[in-house]
Amino acid sequence: MRAVFALAGVAALAWGGWLALEFALGARNWAQVLVWLVGAPLVHDLVVAPAVGLTGLAVARVVPVAWRAPVALGAALSGLLALLAVPLLWRPFGVATNPGLHDRDYVTGLAVALGVVWLGVAVAGLTAGVTAGLTGRGRREQ
Amino acid sequence: MTGRKLRPPAERDFRGAAHDQRVTARIGLWLGIAFGICFLTGLLSQLARAGSGWPTSPVDLYRVTQGAHVVAGVAAIPLLLAKLWSVYPKLFARPLVRSLPHAIERGSILVLSGAALFEVVTGLFNVAQNYVWGFGFPAAHHVAGWLAIGSVLVHVAVKLPVIRRGLTRGDGGERSAPPGGILTRRGFLRGTGLATGVAVVATAGAAVPLLRPVSPLSWRSDRGPQGVPVNRTARAAGVRAVDDSWRLTVVTPGGTRAFSLAELRALPQTSASLPIACVEGWNQSASWTGVPVADLLRLAGGAPGSPVRVRSLERRGAYRSSLLPGAHAADPATLLALRLGDEPLALDHGYPCRLIAPSRPGVTQTKWVTRLEVEPR
Repeated sequence: MRAVFALAGVAALAWGGWLALEFALGARNWAQVLVWLVGAPLVHDLVVAPAVGLTGLAVARVVPVAWRAPVALGAALSGLLALLAVPLLWRPFGVATNPGLHDRDYVTGLAVALGVVWLGVAVAGLTAGVTAGLTGRGRREQ
Repeated sequence: MTGRKLRPPAERDFRGAAHDQRVTARIGLWLGIAFGICFLTGLLSQLARAGSGWPTSPVDLYRVTQGAHVVAGVAAIPLLLAKLWSVYPKLFARPLVRSLPHAIERGSILVLSGAALFEVVTGLFNVAQNYVWGFGFPAAHHVAGWLAIGSVLVHVAVKLPVIRRGLTRGDGGERSAPPGGILTRRGFLRGTGLATGVAVVATAGAAVPLLRPVSPLSWRSDRGPQGVPVNRTARAAGVRAVDDSWRLTVVTPGGTRAFSLAELRALPQTSASLPIACVEGWNQSASWTGVPVADLLRLAGGAPGSPVRVRSLERRGAYRSSLLPGAHAADPATLLALRLGDEPLALDHGYPCRLIAPSRPGVTQTKWVTRLEVEPR
């Protein structure tokens, strides 16, 4: 089983390497692809993941126990929605708006989506607070 | 001030349940499924763009495969971020390199995360037609797709025993999150599932019309002329409304014939309900009326069945002409459309006439058609 995965993987990588070579020989700006391939994990490892970790640490220190999970999840969903909105909101290199394509009000859309997320956080936090108050679990964990 | 010196984190500093291998294995499985769908539908998209060998029916085939490609790609974003967070502590494992196999493994993971992030980031910007790069997207996205799937497979081969162990052990069972942590294992998994659902719903209105009202980040709206979005306006293409001197020229081995717009309108008309399905994942079915391409070829003295080069009034751009495969050229539903719904085509939709063929990527449905040339088979 492992050999099958390994062989298929090495074959796909070899084919991908061949295509990459062809691409590099034929295309303008191929070096930019390399910058993106290396830059993306660097940005993730040096910016995105530390931001996640620091947010988690802050939530664990500042937020009351019953609210921690909903707030952490709300923060994660907010970050995710913001990331998904970047190509629609930040468009110095985008094509001119086409009729029917990327022509909606994404600022309002994002704001509404974030509103729904934090409404969900509030509901989850309040009901979790009620549950913890009833069972006394929250206090013990603190 | 605590007086403690700041130091880079060590692997043991990460105590959250997210870093448990049971969590990693499950999210890895979900991510593998999403990437598998992306890879296969991506290859299908390549095949569809190339044309020959791509079937003419079902007419919705490309709309479904490309919609699945984009939706699975969006789903992969939270899954990839969760997966990378799950294994992030391993980045700080020391010693950096223990042995040659270990060095190769770490190197392969750099290829894996580079190619995987490249695919989701370039894909996300491309569906928004936001070209933040100077390279050709289709070729680069294709190359990185092979590198991504190859390194995923190698990674699975290397980790298979760990994955098996992770998947066979139950994911629940703790009474609360570990000390200093926020979520339980199951909590992190459910949160990842929720985030994936949110990402899909927030964007998938582009591909699934039903979701559009609740899809605030869908990159298409209902505002296109005649209910169909426009990917390239006449203005952007440098095309103006034609006058009476316009002719459609049909070149076949058996003869050449030019048609005026009035002559095209006088020919027997066919209506077909066909989708415009774009590589960006959006699609819109519409009712088109015009003359079947096969009829035009016959009127010019040719026999349908060979590929046809379709040329546009558009002067610049990669899509100013397209090659219509022989099977599509012969299909009676492949039209040179003059009308959309109850009206003549809007200029932005290709007035005076555009190509519309079943089961083809949108960029190959050439607008402002001025010439059809039969190519050698």
